[in-house]
Amino acid sequence: MSGEEEENAAELKIGDEFLKAKCLMNCEVSLILEHKYEQLQQVSEDPMNQVSQVFEKSLQYVKRFSRYKNPDAVRQVREILSRHQLTEFELCVLGNLCPETVEEAVAMVPSLKTKGRAHDDEAIEKMLNDLSLVKRFE
Amino acid sequence: MFFHIVLERNMQLHPRFFGRNLRENLVSKLMKDVEGTCSGRHGFVVAITGIESVGKGLIRDGTGFVTFPVKYQCVVFRPFKGEILEAVVTLVNKMGFFAEAGPVQIFVSKHLIPDDMEFQAGDMPNYTTSDGSVKIQKECEVRLKIIGTRVDATEIFCVGTIKDDFLGVINDPAAA
Repeated sequence: MSGEEEENAAELKIGDEFLKAKCLMNCEVSLILEHKYEQLQQVSEDPMNQVSQVFEKSLQYVKRFSRYKNPDAVRQVREILSRHQLTEFELCVLGNLCPETVEEAVAMVPSLKTKGRAHDDEAIEKMLNDLSLVKRFE
Repeated sequence: MFFHIVLERNMQLHPRFFGRNLRENLVSKLMKDVEGTCSGRHGFVVAITGIESVGKGLIRDGTGFVTFPVKYQCVVFRPFKGEILEAVVTLVNKMGFFAEAGPVQIFVSKHLIPDDMEFQAGDMPNYTTSDGSVKIQKECEVRLKIIGTRVDATEIFCVGTIKDDFLGVINDPAAA
């Protein structure tokens, strides 16, 4: 696959299929997987045996790295970020890593600053401020 | 990064499952077959969240098996080159360290660890800065950047770096 060689998330080259797909932040995955796990718990005594290793590891991972625990906060974060003309992928990287400064945000998501997009430092700073507010009032 | 995508698969079903519960049988077989698998293109299939559609079945000549095209929604984990993510350190040795982000393993070579960090052997092998302020050891949480992926049929393996701005240890439960 020639597309494979070109792949670079920093320039948003992640393939058309994934660029259009819905990305999930860790906190969202955590909600989905825990819900699924609870469903399994109701039908079987030992749900850990029922699930694949991939599921188990992913669940542990997203539990550990979820920035927002309550479902309302998760929804708010997505809402705030989606006001800023970000792609799904950028939105989720920001939601996952919660950068604190503009410099950090641009280092995490270099594509914010490319191709003359309307993200000046002020807009990014405003976005980060809004995010930290959600975190504080959670 | 986790994604929510729609995938399609042709499911072969034995005739003994035909009947009222055909759909349930199909779905539970699908879950058993694809959850936990990994492909280079779509990454790890973590969980199936819904069925979009079950197409018309096609009877296979000679066997009686029927193939159904099934479209399903699922959560997948697919690492990308250039992506920055957080991971948990699982193993430290003199070559570098291994970290895990969900189902995927990431290796960070010692050449991609900042030069001022030295390897320290012992029962808790670690990388430490000369002033001892930063320490990478097992169970540490690090933020790293993926610089390469190797894909084979059933596994994705990544190489990462922490030699860049805003990368490195973010939390060490042992030190807290």
